[in-house]
Amino acid sequence: MDVKKPIANPLIVLREEFDDWAILFDPDTGNAFGLNPTGVFVWKLLDGRHNPDDIVNRLREEADDVPEDAGEHARRFIASLEQQGLVGYEIEQGPGAGTGVRG
Amino acid sequence: MKLMRTPKKVDIDITNRCNLRCRYCYHFESAGDADGDLPAEEWLRFFGELNRCAVTEVTLAGGEPFLRGDLREIIRGVVENRMRFAILTNGTLITDELAAFLASTKRCNYVQVSIDGSVPDSHDAMRGRGSFERALQGLLALKRNGVRAAVRVTIHRKNVHDLEGIARFLLEDIGLGSFGTNSAGAMGLCRKNAEMVQLTTEERTMAMETLLRLSKKYNGRIQAMAGPLAEARMWLEMEDARLEGRPSMPNRGALTACGCYRSGLSVRADGVIAPCTMLSQIELGRINRDDLATLWREHGLLNALRERGHIPLSRFPFCEDCDYVPYCTGNCPGLSYALVGEVNHPSPDACLRKFLAEGGRLPDRALLC
Repeated sequence: MDVKKPIANPLIVLREEFDDWAILFDPDTGNAFGLNPTGVFVWKLLDGRHNPDDIVNRLREEADDVPEDAGEHARRFIASLEQQGLVGYEIEQGPGAGTGVRG
Repeated sequence: MKLMRTPKKVDIDITNRCNLRCRYCYHFESAGDADGDLPAEEWLRFFGELNRCAVTEVTLAGGEPFLRGDLREIIRGVVENRMRFAILTNGTLITDELAAFLASTKRCNYVQVSIDGSVPDSHDAMRGRGSFERALQGLLALKRNGVRAAVRVTIHRKNVHDLEGIARFLLEDIGLGSFGTNSAGAMGLCRKNAEMVQLTTEERTMAMETLLRLSKKYNGRIQAMAGPLAEARMWLEMEDARLEGRPSMPNRGALTACGCYRSGLSVRADGVIAPCTMLSQIELGRINRDDLATLWREHGLLNALRERGHIPLSRFPFCEDCDYVPYCTGNCPGLSYALVGEVNHPSPDACLRKFLAEGGRLPDRALLC
């Protein structure tokens, strides 16, 4: 089970548009990425408290007919977000050093 | 048509002051000419709301934005609130230091500088002595510091004979990738100075032909959303449709222009929210008092504007018996308001039938890119 709990880059703007579709806007690059409603659902749970399995479980609670391989899709989606700098992970930096986020 | 949940873009007059008084300025002596610049704190508070609304871009204009001594603080507020920005300026106050600051933010989409001539005379005739040289220095400072500069050439009676020189100067001598053109619309100070500023029908005919030819020569590096070049392209398309006997064209035959208030809003220097800079007389609310997202979705005047695309041109006596009605958009509602006092009316200035009736000629379509 994947225990890493991804965190959405707080700099990224989620612009919810029509019919629950949205774009992620990176103001530093001006790049925008389209999200379908499932992507929006996942994005909103990238809060450092949910790993991909948690997210898929939440999805199964909210939606019908979630495919068997949804977990793999979710992990690939999150990995692609990470690759583009849109998502990071909180890491322990040692006693007294607080925490940091790496992308 | 579906409406975005919040505006994507907001145009903001951050000051009503300007160091120039260009003879065709649409701002001064229009409803947008609103005294009482707001302190930076007001704008910063408003940017917080834009952030919550997921607005991605603001355009800072005026007046002259670089007149504000606290411009850096305002821009830092834009950056901190996850937005990108553009600036519309006469260019005369841009220094290397300011340009370096803009570059350092990494959030500047472009700075639009007005350059109206290839030599001082044709630029300064409308903008004031010495303004060409200072605008040019500002433009070069932007280039030196890696800030994307978007030059806008406003075509008027004093530079319409210099279009070839302007294209050569900007694209070859200065080395810009492209530049944009428009013409002075009958708004603000331009109305007062119309005789001196606005192209005659003969000059408009010549400008259309020359700009099409230059655009072809420079492989499309001359652009236009309005003015003679845009009109030439649109009117040739309409004339082709008429000659072919096409029954209609998509999104035409009604007041379908323009849709700016479907994606954005504007704010006057006094904080009043309007649908568009060209419709500053329509006061929708005030920043930091009215909830922007609610206003965006629910304001009656704004929603009425969004419905004007359903008003057929055939309803207007002005368009009676016009063969071009099925292919026409009615053009800018701001210009229509300025000319006939009504937003929901076709703009007489953009009327192809009127242009032809007054002796205007369409350019050779072989000149199209």
